Amino acid sequence: MDFNFTQDENDFRQEIKDWLSENLSQRISNKVKKFQRLDKNDYEEFMKALSAKGWLAVNWPEEHGGTGWSNSQKHIFEEEIVKAGAPRIVPFGLNMLGPVLMEFGNKEQKKYYLPRILNCDDWWAQGYSEPGSGSDLASLKTKAIDHGDHYIVNGQKTWTTLGQFANKIFCLVKTDTDCKPQNGISFLLIDIDSPGIEVRPIITLDGEHEVNEVWLKDVKVPKENLLGEENKGWTYAKYLLTHERTGIAGVPNSKSAINHLKVIANKTYKNGKPLIQDPLFSSQIAELEIDLKAMEIFNLRAISSAESGKAPVMESSLLKIKGSIIRQKTSDLLRKAIGPQALPYISEQFDEGWNQETIGPEYAGPLAKQYFIYRKISIYGGSNEIQKNIVAKSEFRM
Amino acid sequence: MHFNLSEERKMLKESCDRLLNDHYTKYKNHHEVSNSETGFNKKFWEECSEIGMLSALISPDLNGLGGTGEDIMIVFELIGKHLVVEPFLSSGILSITSLTNSKDIDTSVLDEISSASKIYAFGHSEVDTRYDETYIKTKANYKNDAVFLTGQKSFVLNGDFANKIICTARFSGNDFDQNGFGLYEIDKTHCDIRSYNTIDGYRAAELKFSEIPAKELCKNSDAYNALLETLYAGAFALSAESIGAMEVCFNMTLEYLKTREQFGKAIGSFQALQHRMVDIMIEIEQAKSAVMLAAGTYEADKNTKYKNISAAKNLVGRAGKLVAEECIQLHGGIAMTWEYNLHNYAKRLVMIDHLMGDSDHHLEKFKLYSNY
Repeated sequence: MDFNFTQDENDFRQEIKDWLSENLSQRISNKVKKFQRLDKNDYEEFMKALSAKGWLAVNWPEEHGGTGWSNSQKHIFEEEIVKAGAPRIVPFGLNMLGPVLMEFGNKEQKKYYLPRILNCDDWWAQGYSEPGSGSDLASLKTKAIDHGDHYIVNGQKTWTTLGQFANKIFCLVKTDTDCKPQNGISFLLIDIDSPGIEVRPIITLDGEHEVNEVWLKDVKVPKENLLGEENKGWTYAKYLLTHERTGIAGVPNSKSAINHLKVIANKTYKNGKPLIQDPLFSSQIAELEIDLKAMEIFNLRAISSAESGKAPVMESSLLKIKGSIIRQKTSDLLRKAIGPQALPYISEQFDEGWNQETIGPEYAGPLAKQYFIYRKISIYGGSNEIQKNIVAKSEFRM
Repeated sequence: MHFNLSEERKMLKESCDRLLNDHYTKYKNHHEVSNSETGFNKKFWEECSEIGMLSALISPDLNGLGGTGEDIMIVFELIGKHLVVEPFLSSGILSITSLTNSKDIDTSVLDEISSASKIYAFGHSEVDTRYDETYIKTKANYKNDAVFLTGQKSFVLNGDFANKIICTARFSGNDFDQNGFGLYEIDKTHCDIRSYNTIDGYRAAELKFSEIPAKELCKNSDAYNALLETLYAGAFALSAESIGAMEVCFNMTLEYLKTREQFGKAIGSFQALQHRMVDIMIEIEQAKSAVMLAAGTYEADKNTKYKNISAAKNLVGRAGKLVAEECIQLHGGIAMTWEYNLHNYAKRLVMIDHLMGDSDHHLEKFKLYSNY
């Protein structure tokens, strides 16, 4: 057992830090730290800078332009970009479609799409969930009918994150209905600009527009846009879901949130003393901090077992559950920490350049909103209940 | 960074596991050993010593073979797994740590302990001093060159069959002062001893003594430091022990869910029960991770060491209670019987939270060492 990072790893961390301090613009990191709305350019500016440095495709092998980093290096990188206040690296092309293309795509598809993801030429969206197919994804209804050299696709996708910025969408569609649901699904790569596609915003409970509905009406999709084989889409979808999930616990995000919480608890007063000195409140922070530290080690254990070649399927599910609980608890305490300052909701505060006076401290503005939107963490990416089913099936064999 | 055990330690683990397993399967349960006149099995204790289980708790500088956090973790996980009643905690961890943190270390005493020829016990708690580190009412009275103790020590693990007792006593200052107390060695034969079994099937004793001769091991800040080291070593060993016991509870419950049938099928097929098993699994992995971190920083600076042990003991206290309660519930009625072995593990898990500081105590300590 050895808990120390090697000298090489520490040097690596410093290299990342130095690069970020020069290449992540103050303008963007300020927006991220203030929970302001990011536009397409904000994401792309940072991702293009990473791409130019060769650090965008963290999880890709070197032959495809990836970093070829070890899992420990990836972990360090993730930690540092969160600390620096970088926008998140949009994962749909890089971490979701990319690995599936490499494993199952044909030569032409790899040659065409992979460099375009790497250069930020394409912005991919994910077309999995449907209004009637959430946890029971295989029951999806969007249909692709064979028309010789192309398919005609009809249906509706939902929860399409950042779909308003996307020019491409990968979709799971039904190509056969006379079989077990899982056996009639295909994986299509679709241009969002195709006639018949409409992207409509879904406004979430925090009043924000991040997710969308995607309507497909008689959309013509050329056959060369089929990924892999027809009716094998479920295999590819599952591959996508089990691939690269070591970051699933969100350790760096929770770490920075707890630090934020402690800073706020030092500035907020209760009975004339900083809130952090209130035994009741500080005990809740401390317990959370203990849980997070343990989860960080658990996460590193999973990473290190993945490094030795064992796919951490069970660990990923456990980490996803615990990670969501910790992130939600942290946002719960952040909301509680500020007391009645959580009440005002000034939507303009989250626009770039807003410089009017806040009600209460500036940090208070987003906390209640964040608390509500973070309820999604235990729902998306396979809800916590689905994760428990997965573990029970794979580990308990009952 | 890696989390694997070295080949040597894997071998230590395997050989200890085998010995403990072979021995304890001879008994119906650990009560049978505790209830014997001697309270433990001397021959088995010697065998443990022979394969190096006690030397594993002592560093090589002091004639031992281990003594690191990792060694202690390995040994105590196994002790939890097999519910070992022999005095690994009292004579092993607590006495060894207090002796090795005293002024003049007498390696011949350590040799006597690790060779199983003498058993030591450690007495700090008094009947109403809870988990306080420096609340010591037992008095030390210095007369000329000698020192004599008067008072009472409570819940002294294996205090009835130990040859010697190491205990805390105060010679000046107020009850809670960090100064003015010392660590002393006393002889069991001078004490009035009331021996009993604990709720979880271990042996302990109440010791009363009046003006009995004692040997000073250290005093004032030396004693305070030695005491903290000892209490934290104990808290750490118990945290590792808890992991071993939690895993047994989990496995027993999983096995039961697969075999117990109701409504015509295995109860493990019910989602409500499956999900609760996953919740337990998560907390066991969390607790294991906290204990590993504490093991990995056992040799670090004291602040880091104590912070991580307090974190582990807090988490283990919470997780242990969850595992104990949930495993009983998931079993149903059978778990309420004396016959079925689960209650022994459940009791141990809960009682570990009553030793060396409970989860609330260690949450406070964690805040202290994290500068809240």
